[in-house]
Amino acid sequence: MNDALTLDGVSKRYSGHTAVDDLSLAVPRGTIYGILGPNGAGKSTTLRMVMNILARDSGRISLLGADPAADRTVLRRVGFLPEERGVYRKMKVTDVIVFFAELKGVDRRTARANAGQWLERMGLGDWKQARVEMLSKGMQQKVQFIATVIHDPELLILDEPQTGLDPVNQEVLRDTMLNARDQGKTVIFSTHNMEQAEQLCEHVCIIAQGRKVLDGRLRDVRRENMGNRWYVEFDGASEQAERLMRDTSRFGAAQPHGDGWRVDLAPGADPRALMQALAGLDVPVTRFGREQKSLHEIFIDRVGNAGTPQRRPEVAHV
Amino acid sequence: MSEVMTILRREFLERVRSKSFVLGTFLFPVFMGAMWIIPATMGQGGGTRKIVIVDQAPAGVGTIVEQVLTHPQPAADGKKDDEAFTYVVERQARPLAEVRAGLIRRIQAKELDGWLYLPPDVVGTSKAEYRARNVAQFRVLGDLSRATSRAVQAARLQASGIAPAQVAALVKPVELGTARITSKGEEGGTAQSAFWLSYIAGLLTYMMILLYGMNVLRSVLEEKTNKIAEVLVSSIKASHLMLGKILGVGSVALLQVAVWAAITATISSRSGMLTKRFGLPADAFSTVHVPLGTLLATLAFFVLGFFLYAAVYAALGAAVNSEQEAQQFQILVMLPLIVPIAFIIRIVTDPLGKIATVLGLIPFTAPVTMAMRLASAPVPPVQIFASLAGMVVTVLAVAWVAGKIYRVGILSTGKKPSLAELGRWLRMA
Repeated sequence: MNDALTLDGVSKRYSGHTAVDDLSLAVPRGTIYGILGPNGAGKSTTLRMVMNILARDSGRISLLGADPAADRTVLRRVGFLPEERGVYRKMKVTDVIVFFAELKGVDRRTARANAGQWLERMGLGDWKQARVEMLSKGMQQKVQFIATVIHDPELLILDEPQTGLDPVNQEVLRDTMLNARDQGKTVIFSTHNMEQAEQLCEHVCIIAQGRKVLDGRLRDVRRENMGNRWYVEFDGASEQAERLMRDTSRFGAAQPHGDGWRVDLAPGADPRALMQALAGLDVPVTRFGREQKSLHEIFIDRVGNAGTPQRRPEVAHV
Repeated sequence: MSEVMTILRREFLERVRSKSFVLGTFLFPVFMGAMWIIPATMGQGGGTRKIVIVDQAPAGVGTIVEQVLTHPQPAADGKKDDEAFTYVVERQARPLAEVRAGLIRRIQAKELDGWLYLPPDVVGTSKAEYRARNVAQFRVLGDLSRATSRAVQAARLQASGIAPAQVAALVKPVELGTARITSKGEEGGTAQSAFWLSYIAGLLTYMMILLYGMNVLRSVLEEKTNKIAEVLVSSIKASHLMLGKILGVGSVALLQVAVWAAITATISSRSGMLTKRFGLPADAFSTVHVPLGTLLATLAFFVLGFFLYAAVYAALGAAVNSEQEAQQFQILVMLPLIVPIAFIIRIVTDPLGKIATVLGLIPFTAPVTMAMRLASAPVPPVQIFASLAGMVVTVLAVAWVAGKIYRVGILSTGKKPSLAELGRWLRMA
């Protein structure tokens, strides 16, 4: 019962198209969990089923220990930021936030006080009484983010939270997510940007075309998908060294990378052969080490370019 | 249910705080008042007509015509008739052919409004002629026709040997006084005030249901197009969201009606002061006394009618993607609401007739129809209860269907659904 969210064989089918196919995953409490995949992979559909916005066709979902389809009240302990943003444009900023807090069961006075604090923290202190439509897009997104977290949820579910944010606000968002994690909360977010996920997540789940490609602790995922890639850097230029690197017949493909070379050994090849060859060169080796693959590369390794989206469903089904 | 209250509260406050609500609530009575007061102060209809009688008729006829026109009888109930004309009459004894050209010139020069030709054989043929710049003023035509008829009738009675002194008494016309009888006996009020009350009640019900129904539609569309619906639906059941929205918008409508009722009550309680200040006839504000039961029934029809159409509008708002798309369907929704307006004269003048009764029993036309009927006639209680019961059942059924369409619709995107798809939504939800 230590997981904030578990999915067990969850599927969602539309006429002639499976959006989510037999997906199982577990999100440990107190972590930042990334659901990664290209556009159309089924990330939003999965999160919508978790939030009981869509009904699943099969499988089990346990959200904070309850099935959201059977027990709606559990959703009050969750903060959800949908992929497509929007708030009431004619309402005043504070009123919007208080309204969403009240819907989650927060009493009005508390909500008002907390809204004020959040607005100050997010640099919107001067806009408390402004109408939402007067705000820039970025500011409106901040307002919506505050509306997502105003009821102090145990679990944050953010669908593509970075889209539309400038670098400064992406930083603000990152800090808020890390902050929430440090307070013992769980953060689940989806993204198609693998680099962002690498910086933030402790756990990831990569999905493509509705199916899980891999999941687990980011550290483990990296180790398990280590491959046989090595990095070599020489102290100065050497014709002999260059010849060795360019000769693909001995150690496989090597490419200049930064100040050195990246060598992809054949799977199962012993790196000691390479080390011996390097030792016989006329220049000293200053760096030699194993290289981890980026998430993006792991993803490409696993699904190739087949992870591109199918058509999107035109109508959402409840 | 607290979440329904949260939705209700937002819908209510956002509307009541808006400038358009404040303006609408207070400008509408001003507008209605102006519609009442301005025509009343502007000479109250009627006017003066200058007419030449080309009198070729036997002696006496022309004299009586002139006398009837220039000295009309006061109304039976002693009230001043706002619409009455006064006549300035000039008599000519020469043949029409001689004076015709001169009369036309005078009419063209606007010295004269018209001439009435009484031919020599008018007593025998009962035919006279009227020529004027404007022959579409039915009141004037009526006055002339009545005056001529009386003169001719008098001439005939005299010819059959009745003394001239008796003739006047014999041809004295009947004045028809009107008052409305309710189930509790005579309550007073003229035919005219009952007509207007009924007319206004119908139009107001129509207007409010339409206006606030569209408000519901717009509110649903806002949440759908701005993608707020997703967040809402993850916090609250779609049916609660729809209920809160309809109740919220409905309470705004009721508040507005309450403000108008208060304004009307204040004005009629000070009608004496107001009639003096604006120089209106003393009975300008006289209205039919409406019993409390009738008021409550009217209110019930209004509330149920609003629920009915609001549910339909909510479903429509959820099914389409923009106001432009909604417009294509709006006419379908409005149609049953317009039917009683199309029959407004029939219903108002014959509130217990067949058309009024049938339209009053059909749930979609009942709210507007019953508002008109209740204001002008003692509608049988059986009909009131039958109609209300029918409406309650219909509201529940429509809300059930609308709720399903709403639930699927607010989260759907892309092209607008076909009828077949709507059917699928119903089975799915």
